Amino acid sequence: MLENKKALLFALLILQNANFLVAICLVLFGLYALLFKKNLIKMAIGIAIIASGINLFLISAGYRKGGVAPIFTEATIKASEAETRMVLPTPQALTLTNIVISLAVTALMLSLAIRIYQQTGTLDATKLGRLDEL
Amino acid sequence: MKAAKIIFVIIFAYFLIACALLLRPFGSPTETTMDEYFIKNAQIETASNNVVASIVFDYRGLDTLGEATVLFAAVSGVILLFRGGVPK
Repeated sequence: MLENKKALLFALLILQNANFLVAICLVLFGLYALLFKKNLIKMAIGIAIIASGINLFLISAGYRKGGVAPIFTEATIKASEAETRMVLPTPQALTLTNIVISLAVTALMLSLAIRIYQQTGTLDATKLGRLDEL
Repeated sequence: MKAAKIIFVIIFAYFLIACALLLRPFGSPTETTMDEYFIKNAQIETASNNVVASIVFDYRGLDTLGEATVLFAAVSGVILLFRGGVPK
């Protein structure tokens, strides 16, 4: 009986923090692609996946249970309880910044991959170590 | 080398998961003073109904300027890489 209760509490903890755990899964998938894949384009995809994980973490960190979007014209709550019912706006603003920056970084990485392929004829990161042999 | 990478990923994953479970319950942020100030004063101070927009363009305008600088630098890099067309 006690074991059952412990397992139930653990499952509840996992379910309550599902957003954080999914964000961690995204970061780990991206890290796997970065460390174990040799294709430069796959590594760029890994960095993009890590950026999505960070975005999800930031949004989840600012969420309030039963909250509404921080827009006053769309809000379905009373103005007096806006401070305690609206989700936190600052993490959303930071996520907006992060989306734009990850887009720019992805564009730069893919452009570099294209140029590297034109110059060397390969996208294998392990063969690109010696620059003097190109 | 591969074993070192696997060990690194496992240790990193352990610390991330421990942080996620010990951080705080999802849905109840702890430190909200700044955001409550923003929600309370955004309409008066920045004349905007959208609090996120007022933060991006007013309270953290310098941050957005830095973001625009990063975007400009990245686009400049892409243009530099493909200057003069793509050679066959």
